[in-house]
Amino acid sequence: MLAPGNFGVKLVAVAGFEADDTLEQDAQLVQQCLQGDGSAWEELVRRHTRRIFNICYRFTGNGTEAEDLSQEVFLRVYKTIGSYRSAYGGFATWMTSVTRNLLIDHYRRTKRDRITDSLEDAMPMVENKESAGRRPDQQLLLGELSSQVHTALTKLSPELREAVILRDLQQLEYNEIRQVLDVPEGTVKSRINRGRIELARILQQMGVRPS
Amino acid sequence: MTWTCEQTEARLSDYLDGLLTPDERHEFDMHANTCEDCAQFVASVSHLLTGLHSMEQVEPPPLLIYSILNQTLGPRETKRGWRATFGWLSGLTSPRFTYSAVSLAASLAILLAASGVSLRKPKLADLSPVNIYRSVDRQAHLVYAHSTKFVSDLRVVYEIQSRLNKDNDLPSTPATTMPQTAPGKSPGSTDSTRPDAPRQQNRANSIKRELEVLAMEVPAVSGTLCGQLLRRRIP
Repeated sequence: MLAPGNFGVKLVAVAGFEADDTLEQDAQLVQQCLQGDGSAWEELVRRHTRRIFNICYRFTGNGTEAEDLSQEVFLRVYKTIGSYRSAYGGFATWMTSVTRNLLIDHYRRTKRDRITDSLEDAMPMVENKESAGRRPDQQLLLGELSSQVHTALTKLSPELREAVILRDLQQLEYNEIRQVLDVPEGTVKSRINRGRIELARILQQMGVRPS
Repeated sequence: MTWTCEQTEARLSDYLDGLLTPDERHEFDMHANTCEDCAQFVASVSHLLTGLHSMEQVEPPPLLIYSILNQTLGPRETKRGWRATFGWLSGLTSPRFTYSAVSLAASLAILLAASGVSLRKPKLADLSPVNIYRSVDRQAHLVYAHSTKFVSDLRVVYEIQSRLNKDNDLPSTPATTMPQTAPGKSPGSTDSTRPDAPRQQNRANSIKRELEVLAMEVPAVSGTLCGQLLRRRIP
């Protein structure tokens, strides 16, 4: 049994370290964008493309769809950046909220088509494998597991899927997820818990067993 | 408190995120160690979290950023000809670059001056490591010698000043303070018609003796400072 608290400490440490510095830089860039500075917008795009693409990819399970959706997200943000207020939270949180809304809209729009789609048609994406001192056999096992988890995620209901993606893949705090999903924090915790449990059951059904 | 399977399922995320109190964690562990179903359940979700946290960020397609910028800022014109070759020079006019360049130039000038390289008539030989080392060594020794001499001079002046002050505080001998029998002469007053009055002469003699002692004690400066004072006529 894994020692409790490891996951929480890691999540808090990563999010806490990046929060203040990123918030300030994003706020400055947004102000410059509002004054018509094209280079500031370009910098914002470069800083957030990878994160937004990963949210879209993990939610849709499809690289092509994720690419199209990422472009839609930035287009929507570009058109509505004048409506952003710091009271909404950090710019990254607001952008994640726009992404989430767009993903849900896309999910509802393509619900019928999804039944006939095959995941084998999905564009294979290469994960940025940073070994971080892992042995090759460990790397192989983890790679296989992450591939199985990626497949299992697409079988989860949207509201549980987005909660797990935001917490366990994007390392957002509960408070930030609450802002993105616009639900109480208790609901966030409940969805994350149910999402993890449901995901574990799906993996078990796929024949994935804990090592 | 008896921990149940329902509680295990409901608080599983809190357990894995380390949000349970110590008592709750103890109860949770006690139950998981005794209930086989819950133990398997916890192990499978822990295994899932390992998989989730090992999922690395996926790199977006290389052209995605450019596609986004084209759709938002519009197609970007491609620089051709000499603009493409020398377009980067426009960045040199930014205030940040100018400030950095001036700071760097000033630092280099200071370093070269300190290392003895003549900026008016620079020579290539001045930049050789041996010459730079010799120049820096010579400069350092000169600075040290000047500092030592300055401190030594200060010490001499302090010694002289302290002895003069001490001499002024010394009580006079009875013979020298005994007023001379002269009508209308008040004690302590001096008579300008008699410049070699006993009190003034004794003071001058005292100063002279002090300076001779000082000259013997500080031979390094006796030829300069004390010698000049000794040759002076003390009224």
